[in-house]
Amino acid sequence: MFFRILRKSLSRQKGKVLISMIAIIMGASIPSAMLNVSLDINEKIGAEFRKFGANLLVVPKSDTIEIGIGDISLSSVKDQQYINESDIYKIKTINWSKNVFGYAPFLYQVVSAKAKTNGEEQQVVLTGTWFEKNISLEEGEIFTTGVRKINSWWWNVEGEWIEDIETISDTIYCMIGKSVAEKLSLNLGDEIEVTYRETVQETTKNLTVVGIITSGGSEDNHIFVPLLVAQSLTNRENRVHTVQVSALCIGCPIETIADEIETKISYIEAKTILQMTNAEMNVLEKIQMMLALITIIALLATILGVSTTLTTSVLERRTEIGLMKSIGAEDRKIGALFFAESSIIGLLGGFFGFLIGIVGAQFVGILVFDSLVTPQVIVLPIVLGISLLVSLLASLVPVKRAMGIEPMIVLRGL
Amino acid sequence: MMVTGYIQTHNLSRVYDGQTWALNNVNLTIEEGDWVSIIGPSGSGKTTLLNMIGCLDKPTEGSVVINGITVNTLNQRQLTQFRREQIGLIFQQHYLIPYLTALENVLIAMYYHSSVNEKKAIEVLAKVGIEHQRQLNNKPSKLSGGEQQRVCIARALINEPKILVADEPTGNLDQKNGQVVMDLIHNLYEVGHTILLVTHNMDIAKQGNQILQIVDGKVWSSN
Ligand SMILES: Nc1ncnc2c1ncn2[C@@H]1O[C@H](COP(=O)(O)OP(=O)(O)OP(=O)(O)O)[C@@H](O)[C@H]1O
Ligand SMILES: [Mg+2]
Repeated sequence: MFFRILRKSLSRQKGKVLISMIAIIMGASIPSAMLNVSLDINEKIGAEFRKFGANLLVVPKSDTIEIGIGDISLSSVKDQQYINESDIYKIKTINWSKNVFGYAPFLYQVVSAKAKTNGEEQQVVLTGTWFEKNISLEEGEIFTTGVRKINSWWWNVEGEWIEDIETISDTIYCMIGKSVAEKLSLNLGDEIEVTYRETVQETTKNLTVVGIITSGGSEDNHIFVPLLVAQSLTNRENRVHTVQVSALCIGCPIETIADEIETKISYIEAKTILQMTNAEMNVLEKIQMMLALITIIALLATILGVSTTLTTSVLERRTEIGLMKSIGAEDRKIGALFFAESSIIGLLGGFFGFLIGIVGAQFVGILVFDSLVTPQVIVLPIVLGISLLVSLLASLVPVKRAMGIEPMIVLRGL
Repeated sequence: MMVTGYIQTHNLSRVYDGQTWALNNVNLTIEEGDWVSIIGPSGSGKTTLLNMIGCLDKPTEGSVVINGITVNTLNQRQLTQFRREQIGLIFQQHYLIPYLTALENVLIAMYYHSSVNEKKAIEVLAKVGIEHQRQLNNKPSKLSGGEQQRVCIARALINEPKILVADEPTGNLDQKNGQVVMDLIHNLYEVGHTILLVTHNMDIAKQGNQILQIVDGKVWSSN
C-alpha cells in the first residue's frame, strides 16, 4: 500500500517532481564529472607509472619543454633548449651504469603532415628517436638501446619497427601513432609528406608508414622517425629535447642514479618519474580541490532549490496531509512518504546526473588534459549516495513542516 | 460503576489565539449508542466541539473523557492511535485524497490502522452503495458529490469505530444524495454506533435522540 500511495502521489505532481529532479541532476552531474575526471586521471597516471619503461627523464636545465606522462601534459614548450646527442652516451658511464637498462633520446617538432593517398593534412608532432641503436662504449663494448628496448613491451606495433639510419636516403620509413593513422586515414605502406616551416624556410620530407603504434598514451598522436631525420628536417644537428632512461631498479637508489647523471652532464636535470608524478599530482590536487569546492556550492544550491520546491509542495498538500493524519496516519508514516518521495527523486536525479557528468568529464578531460575520460563505474554508487543524501537533507525542513500540520485543519475546511 | 456516560466533557473550553472563546465551559454526557445532533449558528463552536471529541485538537481548559480514558492527557501519538481505533470521521466537505481511487481511499485508512484487506474494503463500499468496478477505480474527481461522501463514510467505518463524528455530512449534497447518506447514518445508529452529527437541518437533527444547541460556545441541551 505504501508503494501504491508513493507511486500515485509522485505521478500526481509530475511538475514539482521534474523541477526537483532537474535540480538534483544538475547538482549530481558536478560530482559525477569531478569524480570521473579525477579517478580516470589517477588511474592513467598510475597505469603509466606501472607500464612506463623509462623511470628517469633527462631534460635540459631550466627546461620548459612539454613534459608529460602518457597523454597527460601539463606544461608546454616556451623556450627551446637542447641536450647534445653526443653527450648521451655518458649516461652509461656512471658508477651505477650496470643498472641502466636502456635509454632513448627524443626530439619533438610540430609539423604539418599530409597523406599522399587522400591529401588530408594535419598538424602532428614529429618525434625523432633511436629505435634499436648500437653504441660503442668506452671499453669497446657494444650496447644496444633505443625505444624498442625500453618501450617495446607496452607499445603494440602493427607492421614493422623501423631501424636507425646512418645517412638519409630517398626512402624514409616512419611509424605512426594510431590516432594519426585514424585522422589522416593512413594504412601501412602509405606515404606522408611532412613539412617543417621556419620563418622563411620550408623543409619537406616524404615518409613511408611501416608501423602503427598503439600505446594508449600520447605516442598515439605522434609520427616517429629516426632521430637523424628529425634533426635534419628541423636543422637541429646533434640536438635532442629529452632522454628517457630506464634504470633497472629493484631496490636500487634511483635518486643516486639521477644525481650521477646530473654530474656527468652538467647542463641537464634528471627527474624521476615519481617526481613528475608528484608534480602532476599537485596540479591535479588543485584542480580537484577547486572541483570539490564547486561541487559543495552546487550541492548546497541544489539542497536549497529542492528544499524550496518540496516545501511548496507540502504547503499545497496540507489538507491532504491533515486528512491522512485525521484518518490515523502517524507522523512517522507521513515522514516516510515524503522521505521516500524525495529519495526516489534523488536516486533518479543522481542517475541522470551521473550520465550528464560523464559528458561533462569529457569537456574537462579535453580542456585540461587533452584526453578523453573513461567513465568510471564506481562513480555511479558514489553519486547515487550523494544525491540521496542531498535529497534527504533537502527534505528535512519540508518533512518537519508536514509532520507539524495539525489534523484539525481538515475539519475546519481550509 | 461510578463513571456514567460514554463520552463526557468537564468544564471544556477552547480558546483560539488567547481571545476567541470558541467553547466556553461545556459539560456534556453522552451514552453509548446515542445519536447526538448538534445545531447552532455559524461560528458558534460546533466544529470546535467535534474536534475535541474527535481527538483532533486539545482543549485549552477542562477535559474530555471517552470510555474512561481522559483523552486530553494523551500525547500526540497516543491520540492518533486512539482516534484510529475509536473514531470515524466524516467531514463537511468530502475530503478524499485526490490521486487515489475510491477503493484506495478506503484502503489507506486500513493501512494506517493495521493491515490492508481489499475484500473487506469492497464489502464496506458495497454497503454504502459503491459497488461498480468503475466507481471503485475512479478518482474522486470522477465521482459525484454523493458518491464521494459515501466513500468517506465507508472510510470512516472501515476500522469499525464505536463513535462516528460527522460535521454536516449532507451540507454539500442535494436532497436525494443527502437522503442516501442520512439513511446510511441511520443504519449505523441502529446497529449501535454512537453518533455525533452537526447539522443545520432541523429535520435531520430530530432523527437523533439528543439535540445539543450551541450558541457562542455555550451548550444548551434540549431533548
Ligand atoms: N484555528 C482557529 N483559529 C482561530 N479561530 C478559530 C479557529 N477555528 C475556529 N475559530 C473561531 O472559533 C469560532 C468557532 O468556530 P467553529 O469552526 O467551531 O464554528 P462552527 O460552529 O463550526 O461554524 P460553521 O457552522 O460555520 O462551521 C469562530 O469564531 C471561528 O472564527
Ligand atoms: Mg463548522
